[in-house]
Amino acid sequence: MKEIKIYNSLVENLNEVLRDTLLKIPFHIKGKIEEIRLKRGMPLMIYYEGNDYFVSRNGEITEDISKAVIVNEKHIESTFQLISNYSPYAYLEEIKNGYITIAGGHRIGIGGKVVYGQNGIENIKNISSLNIRIAREKIGISNFLMPYLINDKRYFYNTLIISPPQCGKTTLLRDIVRNLSNGSSFYKGFKVSIIDERSELAGMYNGIPQKDIGIRTDVLDGCLKSDGIIMAIRSLSPEIIAVDEIGGKKDVEAIHEALRAGIKLIATIHGSSIQEIREKQSMKGIFEEKVFERYIVLDRSNGVGTVKALADRNYNPIYLKKGA
Amino acid sequence: MLILKTLSLAIIFITCAILGYCYGQRFTLRYENLVSLEQCIKILETEIVYGATPLPTALSNVYKKGNPRVSYIFEKIKDDLLEKKRSFVFESFLEIEDELYGKMNLKKEDVEIMLSLGRVLGSSDRHDQSKVFKIVLNQIEAQIEDAKIEKNKNEKLYRNLGVLAGIGLIILLV
Repeated sequence: MKEIKIYNSLVENLNEVLRDTLLKIPFHIKGKIEEIRLKRGMPLMIYYEGNDYFVSRNGEITEDISKAVIVNEKHIESTFQLISNYSPYAYLEEIKNGYITIAGGHRIGIGGKVVYGQNGIENIKNISSLNIRIAREKIGISNFLMPYLINDKRYFYNTLIISPPQCGKTTLLRDIVRNLSNGSSFYKGFKVSIIDERSELAGMYNGIPQKDIGIRTDVLDGCLKSDGIIMAIRSLSPEIIAVDEIGGKKDVEAIHEALRAGIKLIATIHGSSIQEIREKQSMKGIFEEKVFERYIVLDRSNGVGTVKALADRNYNPIYLKKGA
Repeated sequence: MLILKTLSLAIIFITCAILGYCYGQRFTLRYENLVSLEQCIKILETEIVYGATPLPTALSNVYKKGNPRVSYIFEKIKDDLLEKKRSFVFESFLEIEDELYGKMNLKKEDVEIMLSLGRVLGSSDRHDQSKVFKIVLNQIEAQIEDAKIEKNKNEKLYRNLGVLAGIGLIILLV
């Protein structure tokens, strides 16, 4: 029911014609939709369970393109006005990065003509497509993992979540941060700083996190990971820093800086196995020093967010207890 | 009988004078409303260009900070925008068009300037918005100047005309 509510409130932000069509989609599908894709002159598409489908005028899900609602220029323009709260100028910094985050923490990717100026990207004009990613919180999905990430002396193991795109790594990271921050009966909560470069983790909207990220969590929103890690060390006195999608050379340097300051780290990275990540040039140093003490590998074999493997600092598998 | 006659003549005179006054007052109202509208647009410019405040909040702030005799239309635009989930800001500006003509005594040219603001408000980056505000404010300023000249010319004229028409009618009737 909550999933459907989230979907309905998101769809309220779309152009009238698209809104009416998308609200007619059957209930059991509404709750599963991960993305709504709008492209100028192309059929209205939704994406769920690894496949995309077209939507007909009366809300039917179809694979027959001739039945699909065709998205036109006006649909895109008015949707953009609505999602940007009639104020694209207020979201320019986000637009420059190719997206807007709206209330609810949903992220809308923007395609169009990128305008370059003296200081790099200045704007995106002639918007041709909008990709609406529905942000869903899965509160409690990391509960079973927490005993493997913290020991009985309240020691948090530096953790790396490895996952291909769309397998729930950000959702898992967010829930781990929530657990770390709130604490539980067997450990006291940690001070956590999130460096949320793409406003996905906390889903900040007007200074308010739209996601439950815990009571002891500070957020540096829209901040480069490399800058944010240093800023957090200097000013937010975190015990743990959480970052999404590391990989750049500068990120690695900043991670080293954090480790020297005695701060623990939890991060995610794109990949499908530990071996694959170890071979990445930029990550070699980190692996040689064995910075990470826990590796969580995700896939979609049993649905989004399936924990395929959990390993320790020497890449030895840790077996999850039955029922986990 | 004489008292009744005098009373009737007095009523005719007062009515004519009031009609003349009211007609002359329209020019003052247009002038004053344009001045207040200019102030409101300047507040909106500050909110958008310097504060990057989202449009609905910026419109609310104009309502709070501006002269309420005019600034209420900005709150109306905001309410219409959000309640009806308009696709474009211009649609909400069209909703207040009648109000601009009626209550605020504005002329077609004045209303057109306001509508031209509605066509582009919030649709581009701050740099472009700044240019739009500059143009709109220049146009409003020209209209204020025009309203001022009209006011000076016509306000007294119609007031005097009312009084004179009253006196004329009395002379005719007597």
